[in-house]
Amino acid sequence: MIETVRLRGRAVVRGRAEGYALVADATLSFWGEVDPVSGRVIGKGHPLEGQSLAGRVLVIRSTRGSSATPMVLHLASLEGVAPAAFINVEVDSLAALAAVVNRIPMVTDLECNPFEVIRTGDYLIVDADAGVVEIHRVAQASGGG
Amino acid sequence: MELTAEQRAILEGGRGPYLAQCMRWLVEWGEALGARRLVRCDNTHVLLCVPNLVARGASPRTLEAFAEGLREACRHAVAPGCVATVHTLFLTLDPLDVPENDPEQVRVQREIAAMAVRAGYLTTFTCAPYLVGNVPIKGEICAWTESSAVVYANSILGARTVRHGNESAIAASLLGLVPEFGVLLDENRRGTLRVEVRAELRHPTDWGALGYFTGKIAGLGVPVFEGLRRPSQDEAKQLCAALATSGGVSMFHIAGVTPEAPSLEAAFGGRVPEQKIVFTEADLRATYDSLRNATGDEIEAVILGCPHASLREIWRVAHWLEGKRVAPGVRLWINAARVSRSAAQDMGLLGIIESAGGLILCDTCPTNMRIACRRLVTDGFKQAHYARSMIGAEVIVASTEACLRAAVAGRWMGDD
Repeated sequence: MIETVRLRGRAVVRGRAEGYALVADATLSFWGEVDPVSGRVIGKGHPLEGQSLAGRVLVIRSTRGSSATPMVLHLASLEGVAPAAFINVEVDSLAALAAVVNRIPMVTDLECNPFEVIRTGDYLIVDADAGVVEIHRVAQASGGG
Repeated sequence: MELTAEQRAILEGGRGPYLAQCMRWLVEWGEALGARRLVRCDNTHVLLCVPNLVARGASPRTLEAFAEGLREACRHAVAPGCVATVHTLFLTLDPLDVPENDPEQVRVQREIAAMAVRAGYLTTFTCAPYLVGNVPIKGEICAWTESSAVVYANSILGARTVRHGNESAIAASLLGLVPEFGVLLDENRRGTLRVEVRAELRHPTDWGALGYFTGKIAGLGVPVFEGLRRPSQDEAKQLCAALATSGGVSMFHIAGVTPEAPSLEAAFGGRVPEQKIVFTEADLRATYDSLRNATGDEIEAVILGCPHASLREIWRVAHWLEGKRVAPGVRLWINAARVSRSAAQDMGLLGIIESAGGLILCDTCPTNMRIACRRLVTDGFKQAHYARSMIGAEVIVASTEACLRAAVAGRWMGDD
């Protein structure tokens, strides 16, 4: 059985995308902490170290900006390993630029704390145009069946 | 965002598809960050670099598509009246006998560099454009990449630029426009954090320590320093670079010193917060210790010039090195803009440095190139920070003089 939750948010970069959530209540720098060829987080000690961003909806506090953020995301897009969408608590201006250039939807200001309601592995449909995030989760089997 | 008829026409393709795309980048980026309009910009500092080892293992198709994006940018002329300088590369255009300087990427970069000059870019290839002639005046609206240079432009020069990425800086160069948000607006240039400096800052690296300490606390805010004398240009360079390394700072004020802070009150726009952070001698020492993780004294490299060395810094290194020799097996590299190296050559300084076994590395820096190194000494907090995280080097950050002593001895000799 699939549970579905709909949350309202604010579009930073418009568009629509879907994918499995990758969640960490942390910041991430694309410059230095993400390998644009493998699409994996390489930052030592980062909570997402070793995880692939490819096709995922990245749910993090914010990205940490560097002039090279758009370049890393552009290379990742060309290699086909960029995230599908961003859900951020705070908006970093260089990540917003990277999302605009690479046409990756970005949503912020969800109506509830994303780290409490979204879990890694949930399937998310991000409709930034409508300002809506749909969370689809396979419900845990319960005693009542 | 409100666009003029002319801006809307460009967005709709009136000046061709590439400029329409540039306009889309600026408009959508501005809308994402709450800008209400585009404003004139006549000073840019852009990234036009091929990725070199940043994209190690990428498919030839990806590398070609990326390079083609840069070529396309260079097929359009820089807007009339716009000064456009160029940031550092991920490789050097000089012959350099290291495996990290991929000859094929160098070839493509040379081709793009030649196209860039024809388009109107001044190919300075430096992280410190303010050292080689790009010195905006107070109030000038700019579009600069390179976080340390952004902090310098806003804080030391009183110019106005948010932190740009390659696409936004290229779009600004071609269209002469930027979206108005962030520190382009008066209300975002006011202080948010009060920092009293009680430690004595003796040389540029100490100013880097102050920046590295403060950046961690300030985050995206605007720190205001009190108790600080006027820095030299080299000291200011270290402070700016370190603030932008440990934090996301776009600007700071020094009360009574920097252009928009004639007083502490002015720096905060009237209301000075009671609460303040204090930077003590103990904090200064602890900040150095936080970027010293060497497990032994033998070193492989000494890296100076982060951000790129000024002519005065090159003079100091040459003066100190005259008659001495860098220890065998140690690389002494001073990163600098090509313009500065040419001047140093004319002045006889390059000869002194090379005779002593040192090298002035242009266009880039060893960490940008990802040159492997197990243990290095540097006088830049930014270099130490990134060398540790990006190439996994053991690092010691120290004054320029302590770095030079280590270069000659072949081992870390302590601070004094």
